[in-house]
Amino acid sequence: MAEEPESVLQLPSTAAASGEGLMDVSPETATPEPPSSAAVSPGTEEPSGDTKKKIDILLKAVGDTPIMKTKKWAVERTRTIQGLIDFIKKFLKLVASEQLFIYVNQSFAPSPDQEVGTLYECFGSDGKLVLHYCKSQAWG
Amino acid sequence: MEEDEFFGEKTFQHHCSEFIKHSQQIGDGWEWRSSKDCSDGYMCKTHFQIKSGTMVSHPGTYAGVQTCPPVEEVLEVPLDDAEATETAAASEVIKYEYHVLYSSSYQVPVLYFRASFLDGRPLALKDIWEGVHECYQTRLQQGPWDTITQQEHPILGQPFFVLHPCKTNEFMAPVLKNSQKINRNINYITSWLSIVGPVVGLNLPLSYAIATSQDESNAL
Repeated sequence: MAEEPESVLQLPSTAAASGEGLMDVSPETATPEPPSSAAVSPGTEEPSGDTKKKIDILLKAVGDTPIMKTKKWAVERTRTIQGLIDFIKKFLKLVASEQLFIYVNQSFAPSPDQEVGTLYECFGSDGKLVLHYCKSQAWG
Repeated sequence: MEEDEFFGEKTFQHHCSEFIKHSQQIGDGWEWRSSKDCSDGYMCKTHFQIKSGTMVSHPGTYAGVQTCPPVEEVLEVPLDDAEATETAAASEVIKYEYHVLYSSSYQVPVLYFRASFLDGRPLALKDIWEGVHECYQTRLQQGPWDTITQQEHPILGQPFFVLHPCKTNEFMAPVLKNSQKINRNINYITSWLSIVGPVVGLNLPLSYAIATSQDESNAL
């Protein structure tokens, strides 16, 4: 079921700030694309017009979830939350029964079909989208 | 504050009320219903979806579920039309109901849901599972009865499917702890429903996430 993009929402950039300092981000240069795996399909990457095809995502672990060595990723706008979840699970080597949740604003889990490009429009600031991720045996 | 440890019924009702306020702003259809003696209540939403059948190829439809236009348009579909017999088989309207109740034994909210065709025929659990998002399918296949069970609705007394609440504390705890750490109030119901909803086909519009951050100045 497709969700309509929340294009009517215009956020001032401060509203989307995650609150805690982004100063604790490890000083990495823009990282290369995620390692290719089943979850990440190499699409055509040519930017068209002014719209960048990729957006910068900063991934932050919540709770006891393992921290990813590489936190900053350039991701296609059309990548869905589900796709990102699959990717992180593979990267962290989680087993199938472990659930991984992704949050915006550290409190809201976008639906699996949501595209990261839309999330970036609504919650991005300082040129990136901060997403928190958390592992759980939710249905164990 | 201890509220993250103890999610009482009053807190539940407060968060539901805040959630419904935002729902009203965006026309998302959630409303509160009280029990007959008004001692407790629940939050509910009904929505309709068109489900395309797989046997008849119908131009313009695809295998999957698409969100229905407003109810008025749906009811204009001529179900007794001969030509529409094919239409009816190809795409049927399904009514989904989602109820959020408070469980005093688990001290968490619980999601009750059911689905039926417009003529009242209920959907089987198997059909509902088929509508469950792919990313949750693995877990459901491993142990479906641990996750979704059928129970009597505590207030209506009718059979509903229930998303079992025993793990709710476990996946809500990191979110609550984190919100404490960054000193931000969150709406428990919004966060919880955004997590469990997609498991049963209920997706919250993104504006709830923004509403949460705007409400953070409101003291609980």
